[in-house]
Amino acid sequence: MDVVRWFSIMAVVYLVVGTLIGVWIASELAWPFLNFDIAEITFGRLRPLHTNAVIFAFGGCTLMATGYYMVQRTGATRLWSNNLAWFTFWGWNLIIVLAVITLPLGITQSKEYAELEWPIDILIAIVWLAFGLNHIMTIAIRKTSHIYVSNWFTMGMIVMITYLHVVNSLAIPVSLTKSYSVFSGVQDAMVQWWWGHNAVGFYLTAGFLGIMYYFVPKQANRPVFSYRLSVLHFWTLMFGYVWLGAHHLQYTALPDWTGSLGAAISLAMIIPSWGGAMNGMMTLSGAWDRLRTDYILRFLVVSLAFYAMSTFEGPVMSIKTVNALSHYTDWTIGHVHSGALGWVAMVSMGALYHMVKKLWNTEMYSDNLVNVHFWLTTIGTVVYIVAMWVSGIMQGLMWRDYDEYGTLTYTFVESVSAMHPYYAMRAIGGIIFNLGAWIMLYNVVMTVRQASAARDTNAVPAKA
Amino acid sequence: MTKLFGYLGMDVATMTTNDWLGVFFSVAVFTGMVYVYIMVFRPANKDKFESQSSMALDDEDHINAGEIK
Repeated sequence: MDVVRWFSIMAVVYLVVGTLIGVWIASELAWPFLNFDIAEITFGRLRPLHTNAVIFAFGGCTLMATGYYMVQRTGATRLWSNNLAWFTFWGWNLIIVLAVITLPLGITQSKEYAELEWPIDILIAIVWLAFGLNHIMTIAIRKTSHIYVSNWFTMGMIVMITYLHVVNSLAIPVSLTKSYSVFSGVQDAMVQWWWGHNAVGFYLTAGFLGIMYYFVPKQANRPVFSYRLSVLHFWTLMFGYVWLGAHHLQYTALPDWTGSLGAAISLAMIIPSWGGAMNGMMTLSGAWDRLRTDYILRFLVVSLAFYAMSTFEGPVMSIKTVNALSHYTDWTIGHVHSGALGWVAMVSMGALYHMVKKLWNTEMYSDNLVNVHFWLTTIGTVVYIVAMWVSGIMQGLMWRDYDEYGTLTYTFVESVSAMHPYYAMRAIGGIIFNLGAWIMLYNVVMTVRQASAARDTNAVPAKA
Repeated sequence: MTKLFGYLGMDVATMTTNDWLGVFFSVAVFTGMVYVYIMVFRPANKDKFESQSSMALDDEDHINAGEIK
């Protein structure tokens, strides 16, 4: 379990770092002088570093920590290979270090959420496959007859992300730091968003649903409300999600029917998503009173509320008439962050707090700080997404407004100027969220130190 | 009705390999979904599935038994 401990600690560290970079680039958009005319810290260079840090560093470490933890617990067995687990830990962290070096230097494939250059892509594939092999082999040697649903979600994520990452990253290298995608034109756009949306669907949704189906029952000490619904949730997600990517490309050179298909399946996906969210929430039936005192459970339950909200908002935004207003505006940024901060980060925080207590066999250093963290996270998220909703809808309305002569009412720069207060508000929301992350890091470090001190004290031989 | 059939109709003679692959996967996914819904909602399977609902809570027993740390 040592490797799970280290993945958990690094997840919290990357949460702090990733959101700090996010706060910085949000501030740069509100107050552009903050780039100080240094190329390496401009928005264009740091934005991919932010997304890689929060998605792959924080999210990846959380997924690997929980994946290794859940598969051992629900399979009543130890990991198939401890050495392979350590290889994934060091390999994944090496990838993160390489991202920190290359992205600010502008070394990028310019593919969203897949910016890293080809040597790092190959390393990602190797480490990811090692994680997958270890997870699947641990399931193979399990001592229980049934494979718990959380492990199904993790396996689904592993299989699909391998496929998506390899195909989307196919490129022809021209040097160690430069390559060109094998896809071009509209095919490149289609493959990019096939990857882009499924990274959301299988990495940020399926993987974290696996976390939800294990940690919500554990923290609530209640069985899953409906196991049948969880099975249905898994298969509908696996069958349905891969069809959605084209909804990112409405009104482009892509054939019209692909966008319509993407929107139609997006709407259909509300059913399993809400079924899953309800399943998680109803697991608390008979234990709702625990929300008053169990701050970790609050993280998990509120994450489900954000999951339900963002899985409704996304399909609505995919409808062509809504998309005509929302696309290319900050509404999309608001939507992404309601999912990323509200769902992914909050369910991760709940799971990490739960694991820290179990892994170090102790109570949290301060439950009050967990509560403070919960409120900072919730308030920070709400401030952020409200700012982006208002800014985005305003942008969309300003861009499409025209006068009686058919001339655009506003210039583009007027819309940029109008967004400034909301960009400042977004930065403030990010600061509040990031402050919560620092508190979590402090609380976790102090908890580990407290547990170590207690272990040392117990290990001191009694005096004669 | 004729218009609807026209909308849903396929010009089989001009379909490419990619088109046929698309048809295959669409039908396979649809069939798979129908199978999953029947499997999950079949009353006879209810107890089999729901008996696993507390599996996440049982792992403390395995830890106490020393099977995992």
